[in-house]
Amino acid sequence: MATYAEMQQIFDDIRGDFRYDHDLNGCLNCGICTATCPSAQFYDYSPREIVQLLWTENVEQIYDAMQEKIWACAQCMTCAARCPFKNSPGGLVAIMREVAIKHEMQSAKDVLRPFGRVMLKLITTGNQLSPDMIQPDHFPDWGPNIQKVEGDLQVLRKAIPVKTLQTVETAWEVSLKTSVEMYTIWEMTGVLKSLELMDENLFDVIEDFIDEKREDYEDWLEEQEEEDDE
Amino acid sequence: MSEQTPGNHNQNGEGAGAGTMKPGYHNTDGQGIAGHGSFFQATDLSQEEAVKATDWVRKHVDRRTIDLGDRMDDVREHMYELEKDGQIIIHRITDQHEPATVQTLFGWDKQVPTKQLWHHKSCGQCGNIPGYPTSLLWFMNKFGFEPGKDYLDETDQTSCTAWNYHGSGIGNVESLAAVFLRNFHQAYVSGKQHGHDLGHFYPLVHCGTSFGNYKEIRKFLVESAELREKVTKILGKLGRLVDGKLVIPEEIIHYSEWVHVMRNRIASELQTIDVSNIRTTAHVACHYYKMVHEDAIYDQSVLGGNRTAIITSTAQALGAQVIDYSTWYDCCGFGFRHIISEREFTRSFTMDRKIRVAREEANADVMLANDTGCVTTMDKNQWIGKAHNQNFQIPIMAEVQFAALACGADPFKIVQLQWHASPCEDLVEKMGMSWSEAKKTFQEYLKEVEAGNIEYLYNPELAYGGKV
Ligand code: SF4
Ligand code: SF4
Repeated sequence: MATYAEMQQIFDDIRGDFRYDHDLNGCLNCGICTATCPSAQFYDYSPREIVQLLWTENVEQIYDAMQEKIWACAQCMTCAARCPFKNSPGGLVAIMREVAIKHEMQSAKDVLRPFGRVMLKLITTGNQLSPDMIQPDHFPDWGPNIQKVEGDLQVLRKAIPVKTLQTVETAWEVSLKTSVEMYTIWEMTGVLKSLELMDENLFDVIEDFIDEKREDYEDWLEEQEEEDDE
Repeated sequence: MSEQTPGNHNQNGEGAGAGTMKPGYHNTDGQGIAGHGSFFQATDLSQEEAVKATDWVRKHVDRRTIDLGDRMDDVREHMYELEKDGQIIIHRITDQHEPATVQTLFGWDKQVPTKQLWHHKSCGQCGNIPGYPTSLLWFMNKFGFEPGKDYLDETDQTSCTAWNYHGSGIGNVESLAAVFLRNFHQAYVSGKQHGHDLGHFYPLVHCGTSFGNYKEIRKFLVESAELREKVTKILGKLGRLVDGKLVIPEEIIHYSEWVHVMRNRIASELQTIDVSNIRTTAHVACHYYKMVHEDAIYDQSVLGGNRTAIITSTAQALGAQVIDYSTWYDCCGFGFRHIISEREFTRSFTMDRKIRVAREEANADVMLANDTGCVTTMDKNQWIGKAHNQNFQIPIMAEVQFAALACGADPFKIVQLQWHASPCEDLVEKMGMSWSEAKKTFQEYLKEVEAGNIEYLYNPELAYGGKV
């Protein structure tokens, strides 16, 4: 359990995000957001409640909501389209999630564990999803026939008449230079750092991968130079 | 049905099934005006007077003329100012892009380029529903577009990373902005390698979430000098500035907007199959019209301008039946992290709020969508419905795939329906094609693929910056 001062700091971090004033303009307590919210139909979750807690600066209950509730939001932004005050409860939730990660909250770590595969793919390749991730054994509840033609995945992908899509491990072919540029973005924006806070093992795997790709790129550049010299 | 209330009631069920909302029609069953109590007095206007009165009200109380105050201003005006101040470069839409002008929610004009497009792919579509991009490229070829000049598909691009951000909270405005600007800078300069000017290719965003995210980020960029300063450093390090400046696109365009503006040409020049017997329902992606909602396309001739025109306009142009269902506004249940780790939510929501309703209320032959997560969610989660006593099935695909089918595209080679789990074969058969024949031909083709005889929509070298 956090101290009051820690909870206050968490709230200050939420309030300090420059999007906060965009996303919270007052609240009628009308509940339109909750009425239209898909997650409110399935979870003990209400965007109206989140907005009210923030609006009334209830730091203890804000902290409480960050343990589980904020992770129920589906981020559809239906609430934002409908709120008469032009609030974005979904946008506020996004800020709260970022702050939960920054403060290394256990709730964030628990929630993110099953998301590791997507994260690994994204950070290392610049793609979030790939054909080899959508195989039947990963999604048993999708049933035995998630495709209409059986066959080798590689061959089926080659039968897509677009060159960039004939891949298995990424959704499309991403050039090496592009991936390396992406790593610079992750580093310079602190994304790798927040990953390290969340899941050290995943971070180590990603770091090794990045080093390897960077080396590949350096080698490639050298080869190009040599070719040019010849 | 009695004539008790003013205006036209949907007495003959024209235009559709339960819950339909035709412009000028109240959806009541003689019980008074929907949403009003019994104290509400009928005016006893004649039919003609009622229409006149309704028109008057429409003209005077049109949301497109409301004063939006200073919290709803047009981001493009601020961009033009920044450009004038020498702070940014705007990737302009020019005559060369042959733009079509459409209107958005508040009646603002939006230009949609129709040519010289840089395909900004979607990881979920390419990874899971490749029929989206293939159908789109196929249409461009059908219109005689020259690959490498009229469109470009290349390897120098990444996902927008917003799926991950909305799912996990890992990432931040800065990283999202840097990714956006890196991709769009590449679009801006991509023409060079192919012998064209800067800005030749205009980015066409395939994914709905990328589209929503990029628009949100663009607003933040235009508004915050601090954010611009931070990302300028990053883009500078990447060598992704032009004259030391950030490149920001004049408009952010979704592929379904291209389909929307091309719909009449698709129907008049390319359509070969009559689809008037097909009952379509539409699910428009939340991130298409609920994020930065002032930028979504609305059209008075489509659903009275009461809902975004996207998808419905294409179904209408093709002559299909457009059937309404009461939960049209609901999201699909994708939820970003939910589809991975809260699957009960995703499958329950999509079955209960989308598939069951579209089946029971609209008896739909197909549900058309315009985004990645929506098609995946609605398509893949039908089988498990049986475990919940919800044995409902509907073919799910993108409007561009449906349009391609209607124009005679091969259901496998082009529309790539083999990747779908929902009963797309039923739709194909109802459209008058033989699924089993098409499948047999495709299986023959797979043998050719194994032997290295692969067919392409464009010269593969183009993907790596090579010449045509
Ligand atoms: S819709 Fe807006 S004003 Fe109404 S309760 Fe939700 S946040 Fe508050
Ligand atoms: S964005 Fe979140 S809070 Fe808003 S309607 Fe969607 S699920 Fe509910």
